[in-house]
Amino acid sequence: MFGKIVFATSGAPDCDSAARVAFDMAGRYGSEIVVFHCLGIPGKGDSNLVLDVRTGEEVDPDEEYLEGVREELRTTYAIQLSACKNARIEIAVGNPSREVLRAARKEDADLIVMGARRAGVEVGGFYRRGVIGGTHRKVAKAARCPVLTVSRPAASFWGGFSNIVFATDFSKASQSAFKLAQSITRDVDGELHLFHCLDLDRLQSPIALTQEGIEGRLAEARRKIQVEYAAKLGDLAKRASIEVWEGSPYVEIVKFARERQADLIVMAHHTRNVDPDEGPDERPFGSTLEQVLVRATCPVVSVNRPDKLPEASEA
Amino acid sequence: MPEGIYCNKQPITTDEALKALLSDTRGKKYYEEMESLEVDREKLWSSIQKTMKSRMKTWLSVCARCGLCADSCFLYLVNDRNPEQVPSYKIHSTLGEIIKRKGDVDNAFMRHAMEVAWSQCTCCNRCAMYCPHGIDIGIMMGYLRGLLYSQGFVPWELKIGAGMHRVYRAQMDVTTEDWTETCDWMAEEQQDDWPGLEIPIDKEDADIMYTCNAREPKHYPEDLAEAAILFHIAGENWTVPSEGWEQTSLAMFAGDWEACKLQVQNVYAAIERLRPKRVIGTECGHAHRATVVEGPYWAGRPDGQPPRPYIHYVQWVAEALRTGKLKIDPTKRIKVPVTYQDSCNYVRNWGLAETAREILSYIVEPGYLREMTPNKEHNYCCGGGGGFNGIGKFRPQRNKALLTKRDQILATGAKLVISPCHNCWDAIRDLEEEYRIGIDWSFLKPLLIKMVVVPEHLKPKDDDGDA
Ligand code: SF4
Ligand code: SF4
Ligand code: SF4
Repeated sequence: MFGKIVFATSGAPDCDSAARVAFDMAGRYGSEIVVFHCLGIPGKGDSNLVLDVRTGEEVDPDEEYLEGVREELRTTYAIQLSACKNARIEIAVGNPSREVLRAARKEDADLIVMGARRAGVEVGGFYRRGVIGGTHRKVAKAARCPVLTVSRPAASFWGGFSNIVFATDFSKASQSAFKLAQSITRDVDGELHLFHCLDLDRLQSPIALTQEGIEGRLAEARRKIQVEYAAKLGDLAKRASIEVWEGSPYVEIVKFARERQADLIVMAHHTRNVDPDEGPDERPFGSTLEQVLVRATCPVVSVNRPDKLPEASEA
Repeated sequence: MPEGIYCNKQPITTDEALKALLSDTRGKKYYEEMESLEVDREKLWSSIQKTMKSRMKTWLSVCARCGLCADSCFLYLVNDRNPEQVPSYKIHSTLGEIIKRKGDVDNAFMRHAMEVAWSQCTCCNRCAMYCPHGIDIGIMMGYLRGLLYSQGFVPWELKIGAGMHRVYRAQMDVTTEDWTETCDWMAEEQQDDWPGLEIPIDKEDADIMYTCNAREPKHYPEDLAEAAILFHIAGENWTVPSEGWEQTSLAMFAGDWEACKLQVQNVYAAIERLRPKRVIGTECGHAHRATVVEGPYWAGRPDGQPPRPYIHYVQWVAEALRTGKLKIDPTKRIKVPVTYQDSCNYVRNWGLAETAREILSYIVEPGYLREMTPNKEHNYCCGGGGGFNGIGKFRPQRNKALLTKRDQILATGAKLVISPCHNCWDAIRDLEEEYRIGIDWSFLKPLLIKMVVVPEHLKPKDDDGDA
């Protein structure tokens, strides 16, 4: 299903859950897995110094240091690596999001797996200024292939997935996400929950919404899901459900996923969303995907583009 | 004639040699070996006789040692007016001394001269504006650097930097493949948001050929994407060359004149091959100095000009705003106290102070610009110029040098510093890290993209979601 997986890791414990899922998938699908680590940000001016991503210390990325980092990663993932025939460690220096994207492009990856940092554990100063804080957002936004993010100890493992939530906002990017959701559901023989949340925050004024008005829109959204997605499911339709709620999308998506005991959420991250990096005003809000990423109890896979979607295996 | 394995008079010319030198962490062995590097006195004296122009001879002889230049040098001021930091003293005690002794100087002298040349002068040329005789210590320091480089007395990072230019024709190991691949990548990444956006490579007879700083493809490729977006919005017919795209010159900071020549010839060859109407360089200040101000002389161009008109990025931006190719949405103008870092390399050395102010008049809400004092051609160096930023050995001195800029910025009360020059940008980033004064800093491109009006026909069609 995913021929080549790039597992982007900081090597720190907050990537452990992601590691489990990444290696698990690689094992199950016989995928090639590239353990990718970006060790630091280019440092002072034109010097050769690098600021280590984890410690914030200045380091010299000479062969010895690089080998040390490689060795550390080999130790951290010793068990997984030994169980995996087709695994490799790659390291790079640069801005993490850029380097993950560069690696994914170079490797022609079919999937990027990442761990998410919870809010609030970033290093101060320069780091917070959109260098590491934005890693996810930037990767999810620009990657050609799906990005699977695991931010908490996964409730279940890939392969044990059976309940998939596809959350849509009817955008073009959501079409790609839908295709992915479909493939995965087929592949794992699971159930698919098609979900949309009417964004009440955005609907406020100029039309003061009456309950009736909301009902009307909910019905309209349900119809839309039916036409745009459910009708295209074919044999999968038997295993699919449709649900439309109202509220704040990220809250409702997380709630819905919990209610359905979902073990995977599939959705798009809009390329054209206002980049939350852009200004101090937008920063705290973030995009729906980002909020879902940090709050969901299950892995989240996002995709924006149709370029590199897996074909469902013939089961 | 003992020469070290790492520290010697040979320039770096191969990838292996580069890697070997890089592997010597922080130049530890390099500097150890430097202590016993022999000075080739004859060669030193003969090259002075061959290369020292009458201008410099005159400067050295007419300097009245009046000390009027002292206060003009930020390094003198920031180092508690240490007399050793008086510009004229710095050059007389080094270059002047070598000449007086006809090249008969020893290793310790050369190491001292290296320290003066790279940690006591950023070649910012400010002192030249205040000397009654117009004596330019910065230029002479550059010349001294060349002499030191040829004898192997050059900071480790700059020996590497110059070597990069010799091996890769770029200040970093970015190959032609890496470069063109990055162009494709960035174009692809932007196409959803900017339908039809391209980064055309090697297009002949375009209106604009664009050149940049190797740090961009290497670490910040979005800078290239941003340039493409702005050209796209402005409707420019532009291109980048597959070879000859790197405009910077660490070789200039190193004093490796041969590498400077090789580097700039590479860019000029691209211009001659692609025949653009004109060339636009990225925001980097020293890149402009290297390729446009000094480059023609290195390349031996008889008219003292690059093969085609070659302008700095701020010139293009000002022109695009003036002619309406780029329009700013007035509601999006900067509304926080903001200041502008004048880069010595295109303000003092190329007279673009007013051009930069013209841009500010479009992008900053009236009343929010807080000029530094002094400013424009009188502005102080950021503190990291001339290679200072990158030299680990002189980091403490560099950090101290940042204080001038820190205090200038603090006095403005600005929260944002606009700094088109990459090197100044780095220095401002470092000063914020070092001294935490609570500022942000930005290049022009991302600011412009946030506030430019996008013509209807360039906006993406269909879609888009509302989440
Ligand atoms: S101001 Fe000019 S003449 Fe006076 S000491 Fe300085 S360089 Fe020499
Ligand atoms: S060029 Fe600048 S740094 Fe050098 S001596 Fe003159 S003022 Fe000082
Ligand atoms: S880095 Fe900027 S301020 Fe400093 S010398 Fe260069 S151009 Fe001038």
